[in-house]
Amino acid sequence: MSENKKAFWIFKFGKWEEKLDLSGLKEAAKESFENESDSYKQKLVYDLLEATKNKDQNRFFYLLLKAINKPKEAKFKELWEKLNQNYDILPQEAFVNFAYSIIIGIMSTYNKGQQENK
Amino acid sequence: MPRNSNKSNLELTGNWFIDAGILGFVNLMEEVYGWDLNTLQKKIKEDEELIYYEYFPFAYLFYHSKIRTFYNEIQTLRKEIFGQEGINQKIAKIKNEINKLNSSISSSVNEKEKIEKKLKKAEEKLKLLEEKRENKFREIENIREQLNKIKIKFVKQAYQVKTIDEKTLNSLFPDFELKLPAIARNFYLFNSKEVRKNPTLAYKYLLFLCQKKYKELSELIRKINPKSKKAKGGLTYEICPDSTINPFLHSPIEFPNISYTKPLKIAQIEEILDSTLPIYISLLCFEQAFDFYYEKDIRRNIFFYTNNLQFCYKVNKRMRIKKEIAMRKSDRHSLFHLTFSAILDELIEHKCSFSLENMYIVEYEGIENQKLANVEYIGIPKLQASVLLDDYLREILNTSLQIKEKNFKGNKNIWLLEEFIKGKPLYPLAIQHIKLKLTGDIQQINYSIFYALLIDAAILEFKERQKQKETFSLFSKSFFQANYREILKKVKIEFRKLYYHSISETKRLIPDDDTRKRLGYLLLDSLYGNDKVRFLNILLKAVNSSKENINPEFLDLIFEKIVKNGKIWQRYALFLVAGMISDK
Repeated sequence: MSENKKAFWIFKFGKWEEKLDLSGLKEAAKESFENESDSYKQKLVYDLLEATKNKDQNRFFYLLLKAINKPKEAKFKELWEKLNQNYDILPQEAFVNFAYSIIIGIMSTYNKGQQENK
Repeated sequence: MPRNSNKSNLELTGNWFIDAGILGFVNLMEEVYGWDLNTLQKKIKEDEELIYYEYFPFAYLFYHSKIRTFYNEIQTLRKEIFGQEGINQKIAKIKNEINKLNSSISSSVNEKEKIEKKLKKAEEKLKLLEEKRENKFREIENIREQLNKIKIKFVKQAYQVKTIDEKTLNSLFPDFELKLPAIARNFYLFNSKEVRKNPTLAYKYLLFLCQKKYKELSELIRKINPKSKKAKGGLTYEICPDSTINPFLHSPIEFPNISYTKPLKIAQIEEILDSTLPIYISLLCFEQAFDFYYEKDIRRNIFFYTNNLQFCYKVNKRMRIKKEIAMRKSDRHSLFHLTFSAILDELIEHKCSFSLENMYIVEYEGIENQKLANVEYIGIPKLQASVLLDDYLREILNTSLQIKEKNFKGNKNIWLLEEFIKGKPLYPLAIQHIKLKLTGDIQQINYSIFYALLIDAAILEFKERQKQKETFSLFSKSFFQANYREILKKVKIEFRKLYYHSISETKRLIPDDDTRKRLGYLLLDSLYGNDKVRFLNILLKAVNSSKENINPEFLDLIFEKIVKNGKIWQRYALFLVAGMISDK
């Protein structure tokens, strides 16, 4: 997706109108998890999907934050920043889109074929 | 009547009601004299007064005295064939019975002889009925031939008329008696005992009416019968037309207060519309613009309208021909199918988008006591019209789609193009069709639904964008400026990408047919519930547990079309499901 064509999810919360940069979130998740092993990511995605299905924001962020809680690794920096900007208690609909953007971001880093060859 | 010779070409005015009458006039002249539109145009150019005030009154009187008598006979015969409990229905019943008996022969051995006897009887009955039908058709043909002979004789005489007097009119219309049409009830021409049976009086009345010679008209009415109600009441609808001559117009009895708004006079209407044809001719011929069709044994009168006379005339003519062919084959095509196949044929030849964007179908079921029953107007939205103009997309949508299960009694299929033109969403139809594939009611998914879903999505997206751009108004800037071609282009590009991924990528990731089918059920269920979270969860879990590589483009597609999409994600989601369970 080109840079100037970004997807935003707009939601209204009280007086404030917020924007979620969905494409940015997806790209940040993609970069962060690129070098992790597939089986680890597969398990993480499964757990995140379960949390999203149950619309359990606490569980989702607990799992996600635990997975990126690696201060020595710079690749997570962008995702930290994105979360810093966007993290809040989100309305249900906005949360679902937020969650799926991150999940799809992680999933697009699967590279099972290449790993098996190695 | 002095008229500008440049304007003598017969043209539509843009007012559908008057234009229906103009087309009716063309049809009437063709019916009686056999002139097609071009010939009539030529003749009007040569001498319009001769056509309007001599040939037209002759044709009108001939039509309502002779032709309609023959038509009534034809209609009763047709009713016997096509009407309720007519021969056609009986034949269909027996055919059904024969089919049932045929299938039960193989299953029951004991009663084989009994069934065979029944079968023989039914077949004999069928033969008899078919013969009866043939005879009726022959009778219709005979009446037509008879009518033709009379018509030829009349036309020959009409051409030779030099001076119009009582003697010529009497020889032109032997045994003259006007039949009261359903459309005009209290109209003096048909209502007055003296005029109804006298060709000279009828001709004079008609002539003065069309020429707007009201003084002469009043005198004539007074002379015919000075004690009559009409003579005492004076001219009314002759000057300000109302529902007496056409039920589509206002009724001064039911709406007496309309007089406060001053209904328009004939002269005013003529001035406003700038029509070359005397307006009364148009009002009188209104009925001839409509053609009737039997659908589900109900008579429906239909007229296709667009503001181009040539196009309008040709489509209506084509419709009539198609109707005749369908009737002969006892092919029960839906009325809409007949109409639009005629329009599409014409479109393919001429490609006139302007006409398509400005067309209407006017329909009424009948006229009872000068009141209209079930009037319907169908217009075609501009966006839909632009899709129809694209040869490829039109062909794709021009298909019959099964949406009901195998055992459904009644019509299982719908015509996709019809639903589209009517502006109905195609998504609910697609979901019903795909469900049939899962339940095994159909072998293969109709390829057209893939395009139908994308067109549906594109239209919704386009409308949404328009709404955001500006406050809604019917003729907003975008109505004139919107680039509809772009939408079509987008649909085609999107299709290529989505079709590949939904067909091959899903099958590569989930190779087992049964698993895909089970998944299809679950996904369809979540679509029925409009539950995006559940849909994505089921889909992503299935993809996540796949042993194959996931193509990032496939995930991007899910992200772009489903996750990010607020309102129309279901169309793309269903596209994916359809691809997943299809056999290709």
